[in-house]
Amino acid sequence: MATEQTLEESCEEVVRVEGVVKDVRPGFGLVKKRILSGVSFSVRRGEVFGFIGPNGAGKTTTLKVLMGLISATEGSATILGHDVSEDEFRQHVGYLPEHPYFYEFLTGRELLSFYAKLSGVPRAKRPARIEELLHWVGLEAAGDQRLRGYSKGMKQRVGIAQALIHDPNVIFLDEPMSGLDPVGRRAIRNLILRLRSEGKTVFMNSHILSDVESICDRVAIIVEGEIRYEGSVSEFLGQTEHSTDVVLEGVSQEMVHQLAEQCQGTHRELKGRIEIRVPEKQVRLLLQKMLECDGEVISVNPHRVSLESVFMSTVEG
Amino acid sequence: MGALQRIRTLAANTLLEAIRSKVLYTLLFFALIMIGSGLLIGTLSYVDSNRIVQDVGLASIRLFGTAIAIFLGVGLIFKEVERRTIYTILSKPTSRSEFLLGKYCGLVITVWLQVVLMAIAFGIISLISGAPFGLEYVAVIGLIMLELALVVALATLFSAFSTPMLSSMFTLGIVMVGHLSRDLLAIGSQSDVPSMQMMTKLIFRIAPDLAAFDLTLQVTHGLEISQAQILYPMVYGLGYLSLLLMLASLIFSRRDFN
Repeated sequence: MATEQTLEESCEEVVRVEGVVKDVRPGFGLVKKRILSGVSFSVRRGEVFGFIGPNGAGKTTTLKVLMGLISATEGSATILGHDVSEDEFRQHVGYLPEHPYFYEFLTGRELLSFYAKLSGVPRAKRPARIEELLHWVGLEAAGDQRLRGYSKGMKQRVGIAQALIHDPNVIFLDEPMSGLDPVGRRAIRNLILRLRSEGKTVFMNSHILSDVESICDRVAIIVEGEIRYEGSVSEFLGQTEHSTDVVLEGVSQEMVHQLAEQCQGTHRELKGRIEIRVPEKQVRLLLQKMLECDGEVISVNPHRVSLESVFMSTVEG
Repeated sequence: MGALQRIRTLAANTLLEAIRSKVLYTLLFFALIMIGSGLLIGTLSYVDSNRIVQDVGLASIRLFGTAIAIFLGVGLIFKEVERRTIYTILSKPTSRSEFLLGKYCGLVITVWLQVVLMAIAFGIISLISGAPFGLEYVAVIGLIMLELALVVALATLFSAFSTPMLSSMFTLGIVMVGHLSRDLLAIGSQSDVPSMQMMTKLIFRIAPDLAAFDLTLQVTHGLEISQAQILYPMVYGLGYLSLLLMLASLIFSRRDFN
């Protein structure tokens, strides 16, 4: 066991997906539909990895391949160096599916006890671990309530608790913030950050890009079953040329047109003033021109590139 | 934690689900009413009233046991896939075969528990009516329990790849053929058409020989029951249900949960 643990800890690429293809035959099976077309990416130890893409891009299918719930038509997928078709390594893996559904006849505590037994948590450690997790996800008071009476957010939180019950090294979360209110989203976000600080590797599928941007170290973007980008969030945002918004006053329309043209920018009216958006490298030129024409510079603000805007341009090609 | 303990956990959870389900109590209630009605039917009959009590009692145990086995068995795996509860279970170090076996064992225990309750009611009714209730009745009820384990295995097999509606039809159909396969074989052997003979033989070989588990006639008529009449269905039943579970496991392990 100790040797196995050392071997798994030494594996720097925690998840490796290589050329995974998934074909399905919906309906009567006469027509073949390709869901994943040679998907490849890797997740490194200790990072929060965001797997993003529009609806129907293949995010959940990829995650199901990793969880062994569906088999890949071609390609390979490994977690901690083990092929995903194996079972035993799963004691190091936690999983929260999208829109999780659990046995509603069980109470929160009973549910966690059930998963703890399946995950091989020693009997002596179970009660303390269950209480610890109920506290983490804020369900101590509802622990003896049957899941039938749980709200969507509570089910999501108990779902996260079951994914962590055996203290796994790698945690897969499929749309963990989906359907949660802002308070619930923040709680889950903090939980993920806490997991990262403990050295856990977190893989999350999401289409809530603001959350991905704020907590993920690296991302992969999947569109129509193909990976369009894999790398760090900062590099991804850096792919787009940075621009700066300069707000001016006391400049004629003709001058504005000239400035925008010379500095390769665009302009618009903003509450009686003019805002010119120019590439970062043209800011100096614009300011020089303004000094020359005696115009007034009200503000100079670097334009913040959001993950959403870069993502949209990637998706739209 | 070993495979056996995981199977036990899954079985215990399946049993708990059944215990907390109201539908089961309704079925059990009607079964107990039916067993009790043997007393009334016995008084109305001009033949041996004790035999009527026991015929009705044993038939009720078999009928309601089969109904519960099919009713719960056909949804056993299907429900887990449909509701996606299986996703989190299979993400733990639990194999698909362990899952299937755990669910199967849980349901068999549930059905057996129902049979035990019905058997207790049957025993009480027999005592009230003064009908004999000896060890041979325990053996007969034991064989009913084994037969029901086989019916659950059949339902589990269909539930591993089909909808509850289709699974119910398949399971019920096979159970009916299984009870009639000996009669069909006898009819076929008297036929002059070779293809008829071959077909009835084939049905007898493939369908479970459920008539072998039914010793009601012998016990209610006070006929002697040989060791072979008990041992044969035991060996046959265990062998047949093992094959069914292996087949179910094979099909289930290849399934994609889309």
